Amino acid sequence: MSDHVIALRNVSRYYVMGEFIVKALDGVSVSIARGEFTSIMGPSGSGKSTMMNLIGCLDTPTDGQILIDGEDTSGMSEAELAFIRNQKVGFVFQQFNLLGKLTALENVVTPLLYAGYKPRERRRMAIDALERVGLADRMHHRPNELSGGQKQRVAIARALVNNPSILLADEPTGALDSRTGNQIMELFDEINSEGRTVILVTHDRELGLKAKRQIHLRDGKIEV
Amino acid sequence: MVIENVKLAFNAMRGNKMRTALSLLGIVIGVASVVAILTIGDSASQSIKDAIAIGGLDMVTIYPSPGQRNTGIFNEEFSSMLRRDVEGIDVVLPQNSSGGRIRVGQEATDASVVGVLSDYGDALNLEYAEGSFFEAMDNINRRQVAVLGSDVAKELFPDQEATGRYISLFRNQAKNYLVVGVLKSKDPTFNLSYDNSVFIPYNTYGQRFIRTANVGAFVVKVTDGFDTISVSDRITEYLDDIVGTDGYMLFSPATLAEMADQITGTFSTFLALIAAISLVVGGIGIMNIMLVSVAERTREIGVRKAIGASPSVIRGQFLIEALTLTLLGGFLGIVLGSLLSFAVTNLMDWSLHLSYASFILALGFSMFVGVFFGWYPAVKASKLDPIEALNHE
Ligand SMILES: Nc1ncnc2c1ncn2[C@@H]1O[C@H](COP(=O)(O)OP(=O)(O)O)[C@@H](O)[C@H]1O
Ligand SMILES: [Mg+2]
Repeated sequence: MSDHVIALRNVSRYYVMGEFIVKALDGVSVSIARGEFTSIMGPSGSGKSTMMNLIGCLDTPTDGQILIDGEDTSGMSEAELAFIRNQKVGFVFQQFNLLGKLTALENVVTPLLYAGYKPRERRRMAIDALERVGLADRMHHRPNELSGGQKQRVAIARALVNNPSILLADEPTGALDSRTGNQIMELFDEINSEGRTVILVTHDRELGLKAKRQIHLRDGKIEV
Repeated sequence: MVIENVKLAFNAMRGNKMRTALSLLGIVIGVASVVAILTIGDSASQSIKDAIAIGGLDMVTIYPSPGQRNTGIFNEEFSSMLRRDVEGIDVVLPQNSSGGRIRVGQEATDASVVGVLSDYGDALNLEYAEGSFFEAMDNINRRQVAVLGSDVAKELFPDQEATGRYISLFRNQAKNYLVVGVLKSKDPTFNLSYDNSVFIPYNTYGQRFIRTANVGAFVVKVTDGFDTISVSDRITEYLDDIVGTDGYMLFSPATLAEMADQITGTFSTFLALIAAISLVVGGIGIMNIMLVSVAERTREIGVRKAIGASPSVIRGQFLIEALTLTLLGGFLGIVLGSLLSFAVTNLMDWSLHLSYASFILALGFSMFVGVFFGWYPAVKASKLDPIEALNHE
């Protein structure tokens, strides 16, 4: 079991919309091994982001269990979930979601702030992470002074800086041109080859097939 | 973390300078009025006390009521009785006085004629431009000698020494008094203008001007090291027992100064409380800007939660932002209030007594306002759903 870094057991996520119930995720069970590179594919509205958010502990399931590193997250408090988001997962979004008033360095430092590192350590770790994505020379720039690809690299540095075992990326190339997108994909490959579990959400077949394993979603269920 | 949050707070303020300034206005005005009122109150009270203190903070004067002068205990034995029965009294100086016209040949001037014992000069540390105070024998033998206040001497003997010369008191031309001393100019007290007085022996005064042995006033000097207010309270208690509250009047500058202090104190505390209400209004301004700030930064809150900020971390961030705002407002208010106090005391010619207690009070109150009115917005921010916050536009 312990080689499964992520395990979903019969997980559902329903939204009540007036008289209707939207089953964004409907009884999904899946395990992901440590170090795997998995892509989640499927048409728009099939539940990809919902699944991603649940794995990343940004959301809690209506039903079922989610285990991260063998630890059951059901019944965890907000603070405990925040701790998992901080320590065990790194999130990369389509819209980058950088903090606009902070510099690249300050953005990358923020998760370390929440982790309780001392200022000197924070700075060193953040610079290392920015070097890792090739952006050390831009660390004092604000997001609006960076290109889309550069912003996504900063976001990846931020996701990796706390050395999480899982990297979650929800349509990370969706807002980038294909050349830049390919460079970001190469970066994910490298990150995966370092032993980190990477989960990539995409509706781009070609990109999705680059991962070693594909999970296909349709109407909130896994397609076999 | 606190430092980062304070930096974030300043970032947010810089981003919306006008809005920040407007919402700080309430706190700034509130703190400035509290500081100004307390400081101006302190300065006013201090200058009143200074004015009263000229009357001698170690002196208490007893005035027997008119009826008591003829029948009561206020005769010459009263001095020794009071000293015996009430602790903390150095000397009791009986004193009779009346206004009169003083003449030397054609020159004349109006002055108080004061009958006192020969120890009066030493007891009050009088200083002499010429000669000295009269002697005990002068009193015993009811000699017609006089000590002149400096203005009286200047008036009657403009160009020459006064000692050794004679003056006439009142309408009685024949009674000639020998001048034995002239006082240096001395600040007036509440009951006597020294410069404008003529002092003569007590017994001489009694023989010449009043028929009875009763005394117009007793000046009590408190022994060094005793508290004037408690001595005057003891005298009051003692006299109330013997002659009743209507039998005399007691005048004590120290007691008066204390009363003035209490009155200005109560008054300025009352005004400061009213001003503090404007701090509460200022707090509502803070709550308003914080709610707007939380709403505008919903997405930022979502991002922070996604990278591991717990609810308490988010709450702390916004509380510190509210605190930073109110402390900045409090600081500006203190500066403004001090400037205002400086202007007012300058205008009134009072000495400025900056009320540091009011600084601490004002800062403490601003912090309280910051936490109190910042709490709700901060809790609201901490409870936002991460995904809803992230998808917020
Ligand atoms: N907050 C929400 N309220 C109601 N319905 C939602 C909410 N979030 C997602 N959904 C619905 O759940 C389904 C899955 O959404 P999502 O996981 O975002 O799809 P995908 O990422 O695959 O495009 C969609 O039908 C979507 O409309
Ligand atoms: Mg999606």
